[in-house]
Amino acid sequence: MRYDSITDAIGNTPLVRIDPAVHGLRNIDLYAKLEMLNPFGSVKDRPAWHMARPHLEGAAGGEGTVVELSSGNTAKALALLAGLHGLKFKSVTNRMRVPEIKELLLLLGAEIEELPGRSECLDPTDTDDPLTHFHQALTEPGSTYLHTDQYFNPRNVEAHAAGTGPEIVKDLDGRAPDWFVACVGTAGSSTGVARVLREHDPDVRVLGLVADKSDFVPGIRTIDEVHQVGLFDPATYDTIEAVTSGEAIDGMLTLIRRCGLLSGPTGGAAYQGAVRYLRDADEALEGTGRRETAVFIVCDRAESYLSYVRARRPELLGRTARVPALAALTEEDVRADARSVGVEEARRWIAESDPRPLVVDMRSPHAYAALHIEGSVNIVDELFEELVRGGLPFSKRTPVLLACPVGEKSLRHAALLTRMGHPDVRSLAGGIVAWRDAGAPLVRE
Amino acid sequence: MDVPLYLRPRVEPPLASLLGAAPFLHSLVDALGSPLNVLLLETVAENAARFRAVYRRHRLTGRIYFAHKANRSSALVRRLAAEDPAAVGIDVASLEELRHALGCGFTGDRVMATGPKDAEFLWLAARVGATVNLDSPGELDRLAGLVRGHGLGRVRVLARLSGFESADGKNGAGTRLLSRRSRFGTPVRDADALWAALERHADAVELVGLAYHLDTTGLEEKARALEQCVLLMDACRRRGLAPRAVDIGGGFGVGYVADAGEWQRWTTALSEAVLGGRPPLTWRGHGYGLRNEGGTVRGTMALYPGHRPHAGPGYLDELLSLPAPVLGREPGTLLLEHLHDLHIEPGRSLVDQCGLSLARVLDVRSTGEEPGAHLVRLGMNAGDVSLEEHGVLMDPVLLPRGDARQDDGREGGEGAGAPVGVHLVGNLCLEADLITRRLVFLPRLPRAGDVLAFVNTAGYAMDFHAHQAQRQPSARTVAVEREGDSWRWCPDEDYWPITHPGGTPA
Repeated sequence: MRYDSITDAIGNTPLVRIDPAVHGLRNIDLYAKLEMLNPFGSVKDRPAWHMARPHLEGAAGGEGTVVELSSGNTAKALALLAGLHGLKFKSVTNRMRVPEIKELLLLLGAEIEELPGRSECLDPTDTDDPLTHFHQALTEPGSTYLHTDQYFNPRNVEAHAAGTGPEIVKDLDGRAPDWFVACVGTAGSSTGVARVLREHDPDVRVLGLVADKSDFVPGIRTIDEVHQVGLFDPATYDTIEAVTSGEAIDGMLTLIRRCGLLSGPTGGAAYQGAVRYLRDADEALEGTGRRETAVFIVCDRAESYLSYVRARRPELLGRTARVPALAALTEEDVRADARSVGVEEARRWIAESDPRPLVVDMRSPHAYAALHIEGSVNIVDELFEELVRGGLPFSKRTPVLLACPVGEKSLRHAALLTRMGHPDVRSLAGGIVAWRDAGAPLVRE
Repeated sequence: MDVPLYLRPRVEPPLASLLGAAPFLHSLVDALGSPLNVLLLETVAENAARFRAVYRRHRLTGRIYFAHKANRSSALVRRLAAEDPAAVGIDVASLEELRHALGCGFTGDRVMATGPKDAEFLWLAARVGATVNLDSPGELDRLAGLVRGHGLGRVRVLARLSGFESADGKNGAGTRLLSRRSRFGTPVRDADALWAALERHADAVELVGLAYHLDTTGLEEKARALEQCVLLMDACRRRGLAPRAVDIGGGFGVGYVADAGEWQRWTTALSEAVLGGRPPLTWRGHGYGLRNEGGTVRGTMALYPGHRPHAGPGYLDELLSLPAPVLGREPGTLLLEHLHDLHIEPGRSLVDQCGLSLARVLDVRSTGEEPGAHLVRLGMNAGDVSLEEHGVLMDPVLLPRGDARQDDGREGGEGAGAPVGVHLVGNLCLEADLITRRLVFLPRLPRAGDVLAFVNTAGYAMDFHAHQAQRQPSARTVAVEREGDSWRWCPDEDYWPITHPGGTPA
């Protein structure tokens, strides 16, 4: 397929049937609408382009900055679209909660502005929220901001009413599904798709999924946050249910490992929420001879959520399997194998020993530069651990004095080096703190 | 009515057992009147020990300075004065607080003077050898002038800094973390002028550290400020100044509501009520900052986060364990390996679970408008327990008069009544005198003569706004201590750490 612009490749995503052996529903056919296959990688490509297009075509190559309250896929799509039109993009957000997405946005050339946290010493008469300043900046005279306003912009809904919804109906041979399951973020996809499906069949039932209030699922708002969305209308949904991050990851694993769908946690939440909710409807259909269909949206892909998974299920990323040699040392090992010297003895040792001991300062480079023992070398503890994994980093003929802030980490490392066969490695008892407190000399870089 | 929307307070021992001693609390209110504040002194010492444990875990040295403004009690200050002088100090923000701290047994070297200071406050702080936490370069000039003019000794000072977001040059292109503007401290962009002034006044003052206090619950903002201080300490040393301590202020927080689910249900219900989807949860439909604009909720909920999984010492631990934005090491490690002391100034969190405010129920009547809801008039006013003023929402504990077991509504016994929604109104003849604007659910309808106990009020809620409007009595404060199965008490002003409440030497 040949296109003049990547934006022409937005939309027309596949609808893929999920194997009943995976979801276990006997009377409902479950389909995944693969919005993750849009060119910028998510369900937000459509509304981002539809909302930004009038701004971009007017301002292309000019001074403007596209700005949006987004910390995820909308920001990603808008950053790419802005770049494509020679404009800048700024994302304003409460907190970037997924580090990879933040890095990805920076890679795409976005500017990120994070709003302050809540006040600790609260003044209830201060009703000014940080977003007030955001909106003031947008409307200042001379402002070149192009605000796409995804939570209130009807073009967000239109993008799905014109694209996503009709595509689903077409792929189901002109019929609307009996069920539509959507995660609610801006409410754009659920509202737009539901509108089209109901025009075809007023009996379509729509399940909206929100994030459990104490939890965080990317791209999904909690029930309270949903109430702050201008596009959200409770009448769109027959039912609203909550999903947890645990369910999102479970669903994501099923889609990845059993369906060949490289879904992120949002799609996982939609799948898991759909199957959980449809189980009762499925039983009610048993023996009636009727079959129903259900569609859910796979919003984006898995790769950007590794840290999200790591924080919640480290075992999935092989985190617990790797035991560094240092962590394997017990307290008894350390007591048996480590040798430590006090400040006075260490000073004598450095002054009199031949060859002179190598002093290794295990603090960070900045702390080392500020103050250190003259003649010491700086190998920060994390790096030292890596080095030691590959073998002894210095000759057995060189005596070594290890120094850390208080003499604990250095003691463990001394034990480890002794076990690795080094004949004379000692830890500075009490560390650099004791050295300073004893009035021994420290130098600046 | 659906499930009562309780916001039951977090109550830990020994506060829990004190609440169990309802006859004792009733006898106190009978003797000393309503309202009445009650303080538990052993808890403040335990809280200090919990903060010390976090210091030990991170191998850090430095002092915990109690932010006196959280509570004016003498007993609390005297109890803290009895703690290890190397570990516990006091942060005073006015001349009278300084005089009070000295009178309660704090020596000058354990005192940190903070906030904007007038000449008398500066003179006394300098005279007694307190550390002066400088609010501005102008204050430094005034202090130096006093030291020279009155032949005072060289004064130890900390420089309070603010405006860390503008100092973000190194923090990677593209990202800007915003913070609320503060009216205290010297902006980091003016730091060079401050260092120059400190050098100019080197005969009068000695810079011993840098300080900040950010009014935010956001850990990232605080981690950034802490790291900036570590970097700026280095800048000071390059100029020949020798600061040793970073003072990160307070704001470690308290978890007021016991159950996360109750807090979440209530806040969700508030949004729904603002949208009109359910009856109001508040007096006259107050939205606590939320408003309904065409069916969408706008605004920010102006409430203290009632349920906090990490507060107080746990919050400090989290802050010290967070990766820092520029240098990458955790703030705790950064402080340790740069050989810096850590000072903190907790207020609210140091007096967590230390206090109760008691009020007698004067009158109970139906509102006549909301079905089932009642007005409960208390022998206190909104100034006596300023929970609402600080956005703190939690239920009071009902202490029935007479035999508690027979009357305990939560057991649902005969005649005990059912959970009921009440508006708690104060003793002033003012429409606005509501103890809380929230419709409070109690396990049963109170009766005149019962006592309501507002728990965990020692931090800012006890007497911060107390006044004698309409010549109503302000709360007296008593210190209580457990003795075997019973409780002893004495007036706040009579408590000394060497005597049992009651006056006999320990």
